[in-house]
Order: sequence, then C-alpha cells, then structure tokens
Amino acid sequence: MNVIGPALGAASALAGAGVAAGMLVPAWGRSAAVGACTAGTGGAGLVAGVAALGGARWSIGLPGLLPLAGVRLAVDPLSGLFMAVAGAVAAAVAVYGIGYTGRGAHGASSRGAQAVLPLFALTLVLVPAAASVSTFLVLWEVMALASLLLVLSEHRERAEVRRAGLWYAVMTHLGLVLLLAGLALFAARAGGQSFAALRAGAAGMSAWIRAVVFVTVAAGFASKAGGVPLHAWLPRAHPEAPSHVSALMSAAMVNLGIYGIVRVGFDLLGGGPMWWWLGLIAVGAVSAVYGILQAAMASDLKRLLAYSTSENMGLVLVGVGAAGLFAASGNGPLAALALVAALLHMINHAAFKALLFCAAGSVLRATGLRDLDRLGGLRQRMPVTAGLFALGALGAVALPPGNGFISEWLLLQSLIHGLVVPGVATAIVLPLAVAVIALSAGLAAAVFVKALGVGFSARPRSKQAERAAESPPAMLAGMGLLAACCAGLALVPGVLGSGLDRAASAAGLTGAKALSGGGLQVRLQQVPASLAPLWVVIALTAALAVAAGLPRLIGRRRRRRKNARLWDCGGGAPTPRMAYTATSFAEPLQRVFDDVLAPEQDVNVTPVRESAYLVERVRYQRRVPDRIEHRLYEPMLAALARLGGAARRLAGGSVHLYLGYGFFGLVALLLVLAVGW
Amino acid sequence: MRPMSTGTYTQLLDLACGAFLLAAVVVLWRRELVAIVRTFALQGIALAAIPLLIGLHEQRWGLIAVATGIGALRAGLLPYLMRRALAALTPSGGEEHHYEEDVSEARETQPLVNVAASLLTAAALTLLAYAVARPLVALNPGPAARALPVGLAVVLIGLFVLATRRRALAQVVGFLLLDNGITATAFLAASGVPLIVELGVSFDVLLAVLVLQILTTRMRTAFGTTDIDDLRELHD
Repeated sequence: MNVIGPALGAASALAGAGVAAGMLVPAWGRSAAVGACTAGTGGAGLVAGVAALGGARWSIGLPGLLPLAGVRLAVDPLSGLFMAVAGAVAAAVAVYGIGYTGRGAHGASSRGAQAVLPLFALTLVLVPAAASVSTFLVLWEVMALASLLLVLSEHRERAEVRRAGLWYAVMTHLGLVLLLAGLALFAARAGGQSFAALRAGAAGMSAWIRAVVFVTVAAGFASKAGGVPLHAWLPRAHPEAPSHVSALMSAAMVNLGIYGIVRVGFDLLGGGPMWWWLGLIAVGAVSAVYGILQAAMASDLKRLLAYSTSENMGLVLVGVGAAGLFAASGNGPLAALALVAALLHMINHAAFKALLFCAAGSVLRATGLRDLDRLGGLRQRMPVTAGLFALGALGAVALPPGNGFISEWLLLQSLIHGLVVPGVATAIVLPLAVAVIALSAGLAAAVFVKALGVGFSARPRSKQAERAAESPPAMLAGMGLLAACCAGLALVPGVLGSGLDRAASAAGLTGAKALSGGGLQVRLQQVPASLAPLWVVIALTAALAVAAGLPRLIGRRRRRRKNARLWDCGGGAPTPRMAYTATSFAEPLQRVFDDVLAPEQDVNVTPVRESAYLVERVRYQRRVPDRIEHRLYEPMLAALARLGGAARRLAGGSVHLYLGYGFFGLVALLLVLAVGW
Repeated sequence: MRPMSTGTYTQLLDLACGAFLLAAVVVLWRRELVAIVRTFALQGIALAAIPLLIGLHEQRWGLIAVATGIGALRAGLLPYLMRRALAALTPSGGEEHHYEEDVSEARETQPLVNVAASLLTAAALTLLAYAVARPLVALNPGPAARALPVGLAVVLIGLFVLATRRRALAQVVGFLLLDNGITATAFLAASGVPLIVELGVSFDVLLAVLVLQILTTRMRTAFGTTDIDDLRELHD
C-alpha cells in the first residue's frame, strides 16, 4: 500500500491545523499546540520520505488548485530523501521550539510567528514533491516568504533583525528571479512545464540554451544553498532569526538548493558538459574554504554556525559537481558514488547543524548572549546542553567518530579514485578539491574547538553567563532527538545505503551500491575501500579510555593528588579576563590567512592632558569584515544607489515634463511603427 | 427616411472630419482661453456630426441618439463648465483686461512651444497619424475608415497641448481634445462602441472636468496662478 499520498495529506492537514492554532489559541497554550502540529507535519513528511526512499512512487495532478497551471506533485526516491530530511528536522525542531518560544506573547511566540511556522515546515516537505515548474516556483516562493516572516519575528526587539530581513528578502528574490528566468526558458524550449515534459524536451534543445538554463538555475539554487559569492544573506539571516527557525533554515531549507541543482542538472537536463560541473566544483570549493575561514573569525556563535553551513554546503556542491564531472566523462558508477557521498553529507549536516543551532539557541535563551567572548563556564551550569553541543561539534569537525567523518571520507574516496577519469581538467581540479576538503576539515576542527572550548569550558566571562541555567525539558527532548539522529548516522550509516542508491538512480546515475554491508559496514563496490564505523567508534573509545585511565591508574599508585592554587607569576589570582577568548583563539589563524581575510585594525592612543608620555587610554579595535561583501556588494549597492539618485532627476516635479514623457514616448513608438511598415 | 446617397455622405463626413481637425489646430493657434473654449465647443459639434452622419447613412437610430448625447455633452455642458471656471478665475471678466500683460489668467501667454512651432508640429503629427493609420485604413477602405487618421491626429494634438500649455484650463482642453480624438477614432473605425461603454466614457470625462475645475480654483487660491509649472513646489 502506498503511504505517501495519505502521509502528505496528513502533513497538509496538520499544517493547516497548526496555522489555525497559531492564530486562535491564547498565548499560554499556543507554542505547545503549534509545536505539536508542526511536529506532526514533519513526522508525516518523514514517513512519506522514507516510503519513497523504500522505492515507492506517487504522483497526483490537482488542476483546480491553482488557476491556469494547476498543481502537480510527484514523489520519487530523490524527492523522498529531501522530504525525509526536512520532515525529520522539522519534527525535532518543532519539539524544541515548544520550549524555546515558551509562553510569551511577543517575538518568536507571537501570533504571527507561530502561525507561519507550520506553513514553513509544510513547504519544506512539499517543495521536493513539486512536479511542474509553476508548482515548484509557487511552493518555493511560499517557503521563502514564510522563512522571511519567521526571520523577522523579533524585529521589535532588535534593529539588526530588520536589516537582516531586508538582505534576506532581496537575496532570496534575486534567486527567485534567476530561477524564474531559467525555468521559464527551459519550459518554453521544452514545450511544456511539467517535469515530465521538461525531461522529454531537454534532449532536443541546443547546447547553449541548455547552458544558459543550467547556469541561471544553478546560480539561483546556489544562492539558496549559501554558495559564495551569493551567501551574503546567510550570516545575517541565520543569527537574527529565532534559533529554532535558524535550525530549520540551516538544516532543511538550504538543502533544497542542492535538491534543485541535482533535480535540474541531472534529472531534467540529463547531465551536461564538463565545464558546468567544473564551475560547480569551483563555487563549492570557494564556499567551503571561505565559509570556514569566516567561521573561524566569527565570535558570534550563531554567525559562526551560519558560516559553517556555507562551508558544508560548499562541500556538498563539490560532491555534486564531481558527480556531474564523472557522469560527463562516462564513468557512471563513480558519479553515483560522488552523488551518494554528497547526499549523505547533506543528511549529516542537517543532523548536526540542527543540533548545533538548537544548542546555541539554548545558550542564547539562558544567557541572552551570542558573543562567545562573553560566554564561558557553561559546562557546569548547562551540562546537558554542553554535552549535546559537543556531540554536534564532533559531527561538524569531520573526525571519527563523528557522523560528518563518514560522508567526507566517502567524498574523498570518490575524488581520489576519480583520477582514473582522463583529462587535464580533472587532473588539476580533483587534487585541488581534495586539498580544499582537507583544509576545510582542518579549519573546522579549529572552529569547533573554539566554539566548544571558549563557550562552554573555562570560567564565565560575564554576569549573564554566570547566571545561566539548564533549558526546559521540551528543548532538551528536541535536541535529544537530533542527537540520536547524529549518533545513528555515525554508527550505522549503512542502513541508508539502499535508499541513497535509489535516490542517485532517480537522478539518472545508477549502480553505486556505495553503502552496503548490512548497516554496520560501509563497503564501496567500485573502489577497493571499506569502513566499519561501529568498529572505529569502539576502537577509538577503547583507546581514549586507555589514554585517560592508564596515567590515572599509574599516578594513583605513585602518590596522592594534591589540590593547589594555580601559579600566577605573583600577579594575583587569574581573572576570567585573562582566559582565552574566541577572538584571541582565532588570532593565529587570522595571521596565517591575513591576505585572504584582510582584517581592519585600529589603535587609538589617548594621552593624558598636557603630557605626551603618559597614556590615559589605549583603544584597540579589530574587525574582520566579510571581504566579498566589502569588495563586491558594497560597490554594487553604491552604484545602484547612485543610479537611483540619478533617476530622481527624471522626476523633476514638473507636470509638463511627465506629460512630455508620455507624448514623446507615444510619438517615438508611432514613428517606429510607421517606419517599420 | 431614404438613406442619403453615398456621394453626399462622403462629402459631408469629410467636411465634419475636416472641421474636427481644424478646430484642434485652432486650439493651438489661439491664446485667449475664451476663444479656445469656444473652438472646443465647435469641435464638439463637428464630433457629434460624425456619428450623426454615420447613423443617417446606415439607418441606425441608436447612433443618432448617441450623437445627440455627445453633442449635448461636448458642445454644451463641458464648454459651459469651463466658461464658468474661467469666469471664477477672472472675476471682472477676462475680455476687458487682455491688454494688461501677463497677470491675466484668461490668456495662454507663454506656452512652452510658441504658436508657430506648435502649428508646424501639428502638421507633422497629422502626417505621422496618416502614416501610422495606413494599415488600419487598408483593412476596410470606406469613407469612414479613410477619415480615421483625423481621429489619431487629434489624439496626438491633444497630447501635445497637454505637454506644452501652461494654464490649467488649457490643459483641460488638451485632455478633452485627446478624448474627442479617441471618440472620433472609435466612430470612424468601428461605427462606435457599445452604448454602455460610450455612457461610461462620457460620464468619466464629465467627472474629470468637474474635478479639474475644482482643482483649478484651488490652485488659484493656493498659488495665485493656474500655471501648472508652479506645482513643482509640491515636489520639493
């Protein structure tokens, strides 16, 4: 029996109920009602997605639902994968959101923000199910608008929220314009706007039309996925959104950018020449390195996580690009392996990034702070949150036994074995991509050591951090669900094997069998490599236990331990201000990457009056601006503003001028017509 | 009633259209607002003659009724309203003061394009209208369709008056010329639009003139003049 249809119906009904609950239920029960409905929506989406991953297919046409075009939905394993991820994240985050928004009546728990949340979750689930251009664009736009409203939900509290909302609105609509242009051109040339018609018509299109379609559509989707240089909205919108919304956006919404590229590039266009994919790899590689470097410099915890999203999506783009490259050179199995690696990394990222954003939200809720420099000492005050954040960070650093390790390992395997593909471009690009992944993994380790160590260990560096208390049970439950997902992905990724294979073959790349071996083992069929994550974890745990326990055992036998005061060089007891901050921890990295980051330093020395030698105050300021924003966006915005200022001169206020525009316009048009005939 | 012969019909129609176009050109030529309004009333008569002739020729009584209505509105009511507005602007009567320079509200003293150039432009616009309307005329070459460019020419001249005349009342006349041109085009090209549309348009024009009359009086009280370039102050 096909459960996809009923599950999607249930998701829609629950989302509708959630919207109604958000509107009608009074403040004391609102977040619980909305959270329950949203969790139900996500759960139903997960069920539908898992069923589709199991091989079920489902489609429906609802011609009456939208005027002119109608609604067309179809679910195959590829859409099922993204539905399942979005559904799982939405379900867990909704549970978390019950505790996070609490019983207030403003900001994230206001009527409007609560009513939009189920709608956002529903569109996240439904976008991958769209099977015609119009349906896709409508769902996509509803998703963008819902997320924009959610980003803006705390706009009364902070002015930055409004600025972030403006950036997000402009960037997401630029992306929409690109998608609209690309998909409209595609539909016009293919002779139909349903995905089936696009698939059928793609082969008959000329090469350069296909290229134009791919480049515009990929640019639109890459902006949603946070690809550099279209990432500018990400480090603004994610920190300013309420944390459960950040988690949804970062773990579920950005994935849909990847979905779009895979769907259009592989499935609808049926692959393309090498240069498409080399371009995609380049964008991904730049995003990965640039994102993680900016994350290393960030001291705002949520901004750091947002840049890390840009990095991980960059890695996924590298994987997708590599898959296209291999497919273009005719190596199907390797292409499938690369795509499976990319999709698995996307799943892993969704799990650990949702967890990390939720944990950051717990910190924010307990202290009111996002600034790592003023946190610290949270391990004793919020032990469960600290533990969960550590688990998420372990996934993010791509080291065993974290879940990110397995997908990055798969990605590296596919890239290294991709060298069998002939060609100069691959011989140069693939080793560079391997280096990029290694570099970003190394930097990610530094980033998350910083986040975890400076934020949770040491002593509190502010009063707020000192007064922090553990989060309510609903939040811990939501994070617990996500943590369970992370652990499951780390220990038994093999269970996803057949589903991922089906998703890759739905995208037109068959025969990967990348993750096989009964769940406990990851064995690659095409290349001689295998990995047993469970054994890796057991071995590591054992080694850690030995390393930690053995000295203690030996030490206990030698002499008793004594507690003594820390040596303070005779300068008095060390204060928390002397400890490492996030900024000071990142300083060496900043020196290494000085040329890339171009930090701005400012030293202001104020001498005591009437004395050149006695200094009253030294003020040191350092900023690491987002250089791409600085060099690319600011000149562009200034040029646009100049253009707008110049255009004001056209509207001088004289009625005659305005009438004259109309008159001359009409006469010119008529002249053209007269001459034309 | 016997339908009139085609020869007479064609000659009378051409006469009406010629008068219609001539009236538009005279509006450009005259500076006295009183004379402009009078010319506009004459144009209204010429405009009413067009559907009347078509109605008599094709034996359509509805069209004759429309012609009566249009004549009453364009040659009677609208000029009356404008004359009243003019009288309100020049309380002591515009005619005696025309020798006073520049202060008179009753004269279009300084059009943005002078009279000689305006007349030349009108000639050029008429040529353009004839050039543009060629394919339309070719669709159904009859006496009415051959006169079609006249309607277009009046539309263009009306726009030109709007864009170049300073006095608010001259602007109103420009707008009404534009509308007369559109109406004439409709009659010449398609023997008129459905009655309900014609009624709607006429009502619209009447309302627009009433509103503009009020605005003109207000402008006079606010700025002391009806030169619409002074509206620029609202922009800054």
